[in-house]
Amino acid sequence: MNRLAAKRISRQTWGEWSWGWFLIAPTIIGLVVLNIIPIIQTAFLSLHKSGDFGRGNIYVGFDNYVKMFQDAQVWHAVGNTLLYALLVVPTSIALSLVVAVFLNGKIRGKSIYRTIYFIPMVAAPAAVTMVWRWLYNEHFGLINYVLSRIGINAVDWVGNPKLSLFSIAIIGIWSVIGYNMVLLLAGLQEIPKDYYEASDIDGASKMRQFFMITLPLLSPTLFFVIVTSLIQAMQVFDVIYMMIDVMSPAYNNTVSLVYLFYNNSFKYSNKGYGSAIVMLLLLIIMVITFIQMRAQKKWVNYM
Amino acid sequence: MAQQKRLTRLFVHLLLFTGAALMILPFGWMLLTSFKTVTESTSMNPFVFFPSVWKWENYVEVLQQNNFFRLYWNTFAMVFLRIACSIVFSAMAAYAFARLKFPGRNFFFGLVLFQMMVPTQIFIIPQYLMVDSLGMRNTIFALLFPGLVSAFGTFLLRQFFMGLPKELEEAAKLDGCNIGQTFVRIMLPLVRSGMVALGIFTALFAFKDLMWPMIVNTNSNAATLSSALAKIQGAYSVDYPELMAASVLAIAPMLVLYIIFQKQFIEGVATSGGKL
Amino acid sequence: MKKQLTAALTLGLIASSLAACSGGGNATPSASPADSTPATQTEATATPGNDSGSGEKVTLTYAIWDSNQEKGLRTIADEFEAANSDIKINIEVTGWSEYWTMLEAGATGGSLPDVFWMHSNEIYRYASNGMLLDLNDKIAASQAVKLENFPEGLNQIYNFEGKQYAVPKDFDTIGLWYNKTMFDDAGLKYPDESWTWDDLHSAAKALTKDDVYGVLAPMHNQEGYYNFVYQNGGTIITDDKRSGYDDPKTIEALEFYINLVKEGLSPAVFDDAGRGELIKNGKVAMGFFGSWNLSGFTENEYMAKNFDVAVLPKKEKQASIYNGLGHAIAHNTKYPEQAWKFVEYLSSKEGQERQAELGVAISAYKGAADLWLNSNKTFNIKAFVDMVDYGVIRPYSNTTATWEDKAYEALAPAFTGKATVEEAAKNAAKVMNESLAQEK
Repeated sequence: MNRLAAKRISRQTWGEWSWGWFLIAPTIIGLVVLNIIPIIQTAFLSLHKSGDFGRGNIYVGFDNYVKMFQDAQVWHAVGNTLLYALLVVPTSIALSLVVAVFLNGKIRGKSIYRTIYFIPMVAAPAAVTMVWRWLYNEHFGLINYVLSRIGINAVDWVGNPKLSLFSIAIIGIWSVIGYNMVLLLAGLQEIPKDYYEASDIDGASKMRQFFMITLPLLSPTLFFVIVTSLIQAMQVFDVIYMMIDVMSPAYNNTVSLVYLFYNNSFKYSNKGYGSAIVMLLLLIIMVITFIQMRAQKKWVNYM
Repeated sequence: MAQQKRLTRLFVHLLLFTGAALMILPFGWMLLTSFKTVTESTSMNPFVFFPSVWKWENYVEVLQQNNFFRLYWNTFAMVFLRIACSIVFSAMAAYAFARLKFPGRNFFFGLVLFQMMVPTQIFIIPQYLMVDSLGMRNTIFALLFPGLVSAFGTFLLRQFFMGLPKELEEAAKLDGCNIGQTFVRIMLPLVRSGMVALGIFTALFAFKDLMWPMIVNTNSNAATLSSALAKIQGAYSVDYPELMAASVLAIAPMLVLYIIFQKQFIEGVATSGGKL
Repeated sequence: MKKQLTAALTLGLIASSLAACSGGGNATPSASPADSTPATQTEATATPGNDSGSGEKVTLTYAIWDSNQEKGLRTIADEFEAANSDIKINIEVTGWSEYWTMLEAGATGGSLPDVFWMHSNEIYRYASNGMLLDLNDKIAASQAVKLENFPEGLNQIYNFEGKQYAVPKDFDTIGLWYNKTMFDDAGLKYPDESWTWDDLHSAAKALTKDDVYGVLAPMHNQEGYYNFVYQNGGTIITDDKRSGYDDPKTIEALEFYINLVKEGLSPAVFDDAGRGELIKNGKVAMGFFGSWNLSGFTENEYMAKNFDVAVLPKKEKQASIYNGLGHAIAHNTKYPEQAWKFVEYLSSKEGQERQAELGVAISAYKGAADLWLNSNKTFNIKAFVDMVDYGVIRPYSNTTATWEDKAYEALAPAFTGKATVEEAAKNAAKVMNESLAQEK
């Protein structure tokens, strides 16, 4: 069957195949060496009680996974990670879509706005976390100072277990709006102007244009933004790592799966267990992404 | 009608302005703090908004204690090389994934997606070992290494290629272009905004990368702005004004770059969009 | 500008077949990818000598985690280089947590720094896996380094199965920092070595005002409740490696300590930055901080003007948690002789005295600490040295980092009032024992 098919392959098909392979070769080779092999190693390690410095790993089957499913902290982390993604992704995409559509129009001062909305993106995480900690500071922070002027008592934004994940999500939203906005703007620019001109003649309202033209034509970009934002949100680590220490009473309410992986692998040098945690995260992300890839046929509009 | 239009515009401006104010507030605070004395920065009673004397010494101090010239150079070399690699390789792969049919396409694209789902922290030690076995620690190459190829870029540009009308390629084919020619001469220019966006993101991700440069380039002459900043944070710990001054110095060049590029990709691209 | 950019971007692709769009419609790409990796620039720094030839100049990497000490250590390294023209020292600073990731990666890959700092929390892993050079013979043959010149407790930390894997560098103790101005205003006598827990408690009560707390009792082990546990005759880890958190003496000490928070004499603080901010801004009248904060406190105007330091108060006995770093050499260094020469200098009377004079850290060498006293005139830093006599080595075992965090997680509810101290302490003992059971 295969041989038969091969015979029927035309020269042209062969040409397309070889171009395809040639074009993806550097990326695929790079990915395999840099990423796929380490991932396989991690999966392998998750079945072991890891020895120090990569030596003396002992095969333990699914012990790490069994332990993981009984570990309340892992479930906290799953909940925190999902909640964080749920807080950050829809809010930030909705906000940045609104901003991007406005800034794509003829608005005065739009290049200044574009620059300003983008600033959070260029800031190094160390600087961002620092300045936000400084703003959130219970005793010396600007936010609590302003609140105190209108008669509200000091709030412990970071240390209060009920609040801290929300405080962190605000930083997440704040810093990702510029990123989404740039992508969406680039997507908006790809929409041919004639479409709008035509509908202008038809006398369609701006609102109608947005839903009839902008949204469908922007859907490939929007799809990309949603998929990558969700993946990134699920991998949240930097900000929590720099804001919340294990000692914090808010630790169990904020610890994310990557943070838990990091602590187990690097701080407690329990790489096997850490690897199992990261495999769980990978599984969750894969399921979510798979659903999205399936669902895209329903709403994403490729030309 | 005109009345309503003006009202809408006012509302839009109000919205954008409020958002912009929220975006910039932390940075305004950073800038103000960077000119204060330590005492001013933590004074609550009275609360100090503006420094009584603008203290440039914070900047002088930070500049003297760190070789910022070296840091800028390392950072820019890393950023430039990562942009070049990610754009070239990603555009190639993205076009193939978006438009060509070949055996294994879905599988390989699956690999690309799969890579994106994995937290980068798990790559640190394996990649470190690779760089180390090449004897390339404390070099620019080490900084480039994790950014040699980009799954993110491949996925991003694929979306852009998929958004282009099919007729273009058919027309090119009729003109007698082979696949490579169609790709380079017809399709590539049309995803320019995507490539510039990718360039910007690559620059940003590279710039923000903290853990990797800290671990692979431990020599302070081979550090990047981010890793040096984290180190400064350790050194001054609670000297907020100096920390903020260092942050401002680290952010400034990226901001300037963005301002240059945003004109280029947002306004420059408008023509290509209209042509379709 | 934009043309140039696009041109640059596509440059790598144009490698082959870009004539006019005519001719064979389906030429397969014959040209091999002219891309590969871009030219690698290796000029950032010289990689420490690949040339192991004799008589050549040798470059040693010296890895540390405290950038506050970099300047002073650079001076010492310069002096060492001047005397040993064939050796060059490269000091590499990495922040505390990245330091251990870096070292771990280095140990796994076989490229550790030549000379580096070691800590009691990590020594076991490195020593038991043969990552460190056994220094027994070198010390025995050395004129300059005699272990008896260093405190026995510190030597023991870095001794594994009879082999010495690091030489003590410095030590640190915890002091009672107090706000002189606030004490004067309240008409109280400054703390001294006669102070007891009762004195601390009543002073804290007298000093607590509207927006000032009398004392800072954070959830911190080394700079907090560990000291009180040992002052009360309790323990954190027993000799046979069991948790001491369920020891009644330990619980009693924790109760006293956490009551300071419950009675409103101290804020409930959990993070390091928060502690520093509170004391530097006059929000607390007293606090417990280790000697390594000295340079930061001296630079702070408010601290320098208002604060001084005394020994910790006592209960059953006096105690202060005490710890010290060590200098270790990689087991596979290319230059064991030169690396030892450097460590030998750092551990010699001369090197240790220089470290003390320059105010880098409290030198571990007997007597050298006295020179350190002159390095700081702002505070009465003698208190830190006085406490060595009754110092208790920071509790450690083979997996310290793990159970320390588990104990923190268990104790936090006591500080927030969600659990009684006794419940929290018993729980801490339980999780710590579980963790200790995992040790090989």
